[in-house]
Amino acid sequence: MRHRWRNAPLVALIVAVPNVILAQKKPPAKKPDPMAGMPGMAHDSTKTSSKKAPVKATSNPASSTMAGMPGMTGDSMAMGMPIPMPRGMPMIPGLVGLTPQVSSFLPGAGVDPTKIAAVKPTQTVRLKDGDTLDLTAGLVRRTIRAKPFVMYAFNGMVPGPLIRVAQQATITVRFHNRIDLPSTVHWHGLRLDNRFDGVPGLTQQEVAPGADFTYTVHFPDAGVYWYHPHVREDIEQAMGLFGNMIVDSPEPDYYSPVNRELSLVLNDILVNADSLIPFGKESATYALMGRVGNVLTVNGEPNYELSARKGEVVRFFFTNVSSSRTYNLSLSGVPMKVVASDESRFEREERVPSVVLAPAERYVVEARFEKPGRYALVNAIQAINHYAGEFAPEVDTLGVVTVGDVPASPDYGSRFTTLRAYPAVSRDVDRFRQYFDKEPDEHLTLTVKPNSLPLATVQFMNVDTAYYAPVEWVDGMPDMNWLSTSKQVKWILREDATGKENMDIDWHVKQGSVVKLRIFNDPKSFHPMQHPIHLHGQRMLVVARDGVKTRNLVWKDTAIIPVGSSVDLLIDASNPGAWMLHCHIAEHLESDMMAVMHVDR
Amino acid sequence: MTMKLTHAFTLAALVSLGPYDIQLHGTPRTPNAQGSARLVFAESPFGVAVTTDGHASYDVQLTVSGLPEPSTLGAYKAYVAWGVTTDLKQWRRLGAVANGKSTVGRVEYNKFMLVIAAESDSLVEKHAGPVVMSGTSPSSFLQMFLSHPMFRGVAP
Repeated sequence: MRHRWRNAPLVALIVAVPNVILAQKKPPAKKPDPMAGMPGMAHDSTKTSSKKAPVKATSNPASSTMAGMPGMTGDSMAMGMPIPMPRGMPMIPGLVGLTPQVSSFLPGAGVDPTKIAAVKPTQTVRLKDGDTLDLTAGLVRRTIRAKPFVMYAFNGMVPGPLIRVAQQATITVRFHNRIDLPSTVHWHGLRLDNRFDGVPGLTQQEVAPGADFTYTVHFPDAGVYWYHPHVREDIEQAMGLFGNMIVDSPEPDYYSPVNRELSLVLNDILVNADSLIPFGKESATYALMGRVGNVLTVNGEPNYELSARKGEVVRFFFTNVSSSRTYNLSLSGVPMKVVASDESRFEREERVPSVVLAPAERYVVEARFEKPGRYALVNAIQAINHYAGEFAPEVDTLGVVTVGDVPASPDYGSRFTTLRAYPAVSRDVDRFRQYFDKEPDEHLTLTVKPNSLPLATVQFMNVDTAYYAPVEWVDGMPDMNWLSTSKQVKWILREDATGKENMDIDWHVKQGSVVKLRIFNDPKSFHPMQHPIHLHGQRMLVVARDGVKTRNLVWKDTAIIPVGSSVDLLIDASNPGAWMLHCHIAEHLESDMMAVMHVDR
Repeated sequence: MTMKLTHAFTLAALVSLGPYDIQLHGTPRTPNAQGSARLVFAESPFGVAVTTDGHASYDVQLTVSGLPEPSTLGAYKAYVAWGVTTDLKQWRRLGAVANGKSTVGRVEYNKFMLVIAAESDSLVEKHAGPVVMSGTSPSSFLQMFLSHPMFRGVAP
């Protein structure tokens, strides 16, 4: 990974800013672990308990407070450890010595990573209608920068098993929670039965460590989906609990023919020289901007490698499972076209120089490797050095594709060159076009309220309001971000009509209605930032951005709302139940940025 | 009355400015010119339009008024908008401009200026005429923190 920050060292001269709000310099005293020595808990992850631990429902769906929860005794690492800063950028003097106001947590406290199984490569599991899958969340050993760490995995794999099913299939998934946190499984993007949506406190209770839950998972739409926990995503998802689902259409020509299909799951892990940066135990850290990792992984590996034949056409299913990072991916000039996104194909394929993926978004992209050579898969962005007041280009290489001399067979070059239109998508959209220009049924504003943040953070944020990029690609202020916990930052979805916020919003729509939702991302808040907004259990169209109509439509479940933008979403409210609408930056979700849309029968 | 209307227009333009709008100012040659430019993400299947190296890709929507006939300024026939890097080294033609609203070309710089110049022809590819309006991108307001009064002991 290369950082190219400019003009930063002068900051070392900054006069220290006085702090009136000091965080604890020492982590709180370690509490006795009530689960110590118990089977199935953190100290012995290889065994399981057949006895279900008592399930504690939380008042905050999708987000549980872990204090006092079984297995939540972490403290495996002091919070005062150095966090990685961009090269040449020191911590703000007024923040030096402070630590987040939480105790620390890392998976598998007390577990020797050398004593547990190493992570396995992802396997594809092809399931038929009526099949059953056992899905176990457990501890695994992963090696990052040559150091072994205890992390999480589904069925020992990162990503978890790639579930491949036919459209309209229904399967049973027996979920077994064998990690040291309560958990659930959310089937991201699927319009399934509300009871199996995996949201604790809303559609089910948390699945305690050692306990199990059986999901019935239906796949009504072809596309690329993913599954992940809906409890402390900032920890569980970041540490490896995610997997893809590809739903195949019965139409043989649904996608164009390609030589190969590959699922690429993008994540980033935050480490310093010696260890993983601990998570907040009682609440999330990095609540301001989300936790942005410094080790970028593709399918769990920091150095993704792929061999291809000359002229090979590869269909990539990209999924961004990162907590906060938005990617701008390209393949060193290899021609690419975007074919589909979350829940459908586009109306028309488009050539694209790069692929922008916000957290939780998926894009289906085809690429043709025309000539032999080595092609880097890179994430290239324009970061901002807030200290120097300058843009700072960053290029991260996620992997390399090596193209040999042997030609691919069959040769799909001409099919790749053709940009297909998909009239079936347009016909499906047609019945919604009459609603495109209607007045919004619901207006939401995205904003944030700080609470007891360190004074230096508040001062810096106040002076850094002259300009906000529409997308914050990286964490330009890791120290301030690290110190902010979800108890000190409240991210807000505010209903304009009532002023109600987040879970207080009482939003009901009728099943079968078409709902226009306008979301405005307030650029004048304490810290404006883009938000990937995800709606559970329904599908939606982004029909306009800042008043400009979308001309090439696609069904989505997650849409990025840049700073200062106003985005119109048209929701096909066809699936009854109580469905979460939330920001998919994990730390923003932990900081309350969620509401419920009730689709009433 | 005209002055009041002009004043009202100016106020309205200022009030309506968003986070990615640019206030355009006239020059001594065009004292009555005023206007603004709105930066809107170029159309993209991803909702956010950026170049391969991550520069934001904006379409520019211009609203200008008070520009005199170009010929009153000299041997000029048209006004042309340019996207210009702040070091003035790169000039990208955006398109011809007239009083009223117009959507011109695309800018893909980090910090930049929008410049409207009187030119000999509406199709010129190289800037040569006098600048009649200009404004700086919101990103140009990024500043080095050290210059802030906060670091000289002044409360924010």
